[in-house]
Amino acid sequence: MKPLNLIALLLFLAGATWALTRSETVVRDIQVAYFKIINPTLTAGSSLETKTRKLLDETEHSKVLETKLAAVDGEIGRLRIIESQFDALKRENKELRHALDFKKATNFDVVAAQIIRRHPTTWWQTMEIDAGEERGIGIQLSVLSNEGLVGIIDRPFKNRSSVLLVTDEKCQVSVRVEGTPEVGILSGQRGKFDSNPTLRLRFLSKDASLKSGQRVFTTGRGGIFQPNILVGTILSVEKGPIDSEALVAPAVNLSDLGTVFVVLSETP
Amino acid sequence: MLRYNISTVILLLIAFLVQQFVPAFTGLSHARFLIVHLVFLCCAVTVTTPTMLLLAFIGGLLWDAHCYLAPIVADPEVYSQPVESLRFGYSIILFGIAGFLMQGLNPVFRQGKWHFSALLSGIAIFLYLTAEFLVISFIRGDFTITRSIFRLLIYTSVLTMIISPIVFWLLYQIAKIFDYSLYPEARKSNSWH
Repeated sequence: MKPLNLIALLLFLAGATWALTRSETVVRDIQVAYFKIINPTLTAGSSLETKTRKLLDETEHSKVLETKLAAVDGEIGRLRIIESQFDALKRENKELRHALDFKKATNFDVVAAQIIRRHPTTWWQTMEIDAGEERGIGIQLSVLSNEGLVGIIDRPFKNRSSVLLVTDEKCQVSVRVEGTPEVGILSGQRGKFDSNPTLRLRFLSKDASLKSGQRVFTTGRGGIFQPNILVGTILSVEKGPIDSEALVAPAVNLSDLGTVFVVLSETP
Repeated sequence: MLRYNISTVILLLIAFLVQQFVPAFTGLSHARFLIVHLVFLCCAVTVTTPTMLLLAFIGGLLWDAHCYLAPIVADPEVYSQPVESLRFGYSIILFGIAGFLMQGLNPVFRQGKWHFSALLSGIAIFLYLTAEFLVISFIRGDFTITRSIFRLLIYTSVLTMIISPIVFWLLYQIAKIFDYSLYPEARKSNSWH
């Protein structure tokens, strides 16, 4: 090997080692700088993608009506989510009103956002929304739609955020199955790029008695998601020697999603 | 040669900007044109090893800045088996390996046979994505390869390979502007005949 090539290789390995040993804070700073630089093209690219999608979807609605409809849909969705949370709290209150030490303070506020980009990376199930730190969005906040849980905020930037979808393997959700004592951890499955991806519900009891169609809700445990958010419905159950697993269909059709809501409350 | 090398670095940076306009094809298992990887691979075969390594470092670093997922901080009592994140910077190594693979065909490319390199760029993309998937599987455990993963690998490689002649043509034009010969061996053999 030529001496110059050897020196270049050693420098390359040193550079790679430097990158591999960076702390989360430094990585975050690098990402912020990178997205700041490419932001104009990112915005243009997202806008192009959104326009193309709208053009394909648009059949008979005029632009004005569509805008109004989107605004109304957004407002309805926001109110539905808030209403469902109040209903859940009401039910909870009713069930536990005799418990003397029960006290729950919930600060539940949401921000509506439009999806501007889908699957920007190869392997991760992510999407980008048009709301960021300017509107109070921070890391690891829950993202919902009218139908249920969408995911969590992975990277918030100034005026946009990246959302890790519930269908990604890395997004784990502590859930309970409606009408049963069963609780478990739900996560996406690696490499499921189909139009109807399924989720895997693990750590159920060995003799879990579940039926297809039963709904799955968040437990609120674990410090990320608020309780009682619909996540999906049971498709099938596989019983193992130690525990059981179930396949769950997501409540939200992630391929046909326009408006989402980021829950701003600081504690789940 | 220096001006050509600098122009390849600029071209790689432009590729990052162009990549923002390229959506995933949902009907093709989310396959996409990997413009950044393609530009890097095409440049890698036309430059010297030190320049290729510089391109690999820049490409890998920026690609990870684009794709890196933040770790999820949750209650370990509830989430007792968190899914591991890949280390920031792993793409630098993968870019470097893919670059060396492309440089293996450098003698053939210098003879003017760019189509072999175009074909190899598709193979290199396939190997890159496969290696990336294997790294993910190794870090997270539980190796499973599904039909949709295989389709993603194939479609992405083929889609990207299809546009490689455009990148080679672009590099040829840049080389012409800076009076740098991409095919010195071909020029020699033509002068002999």
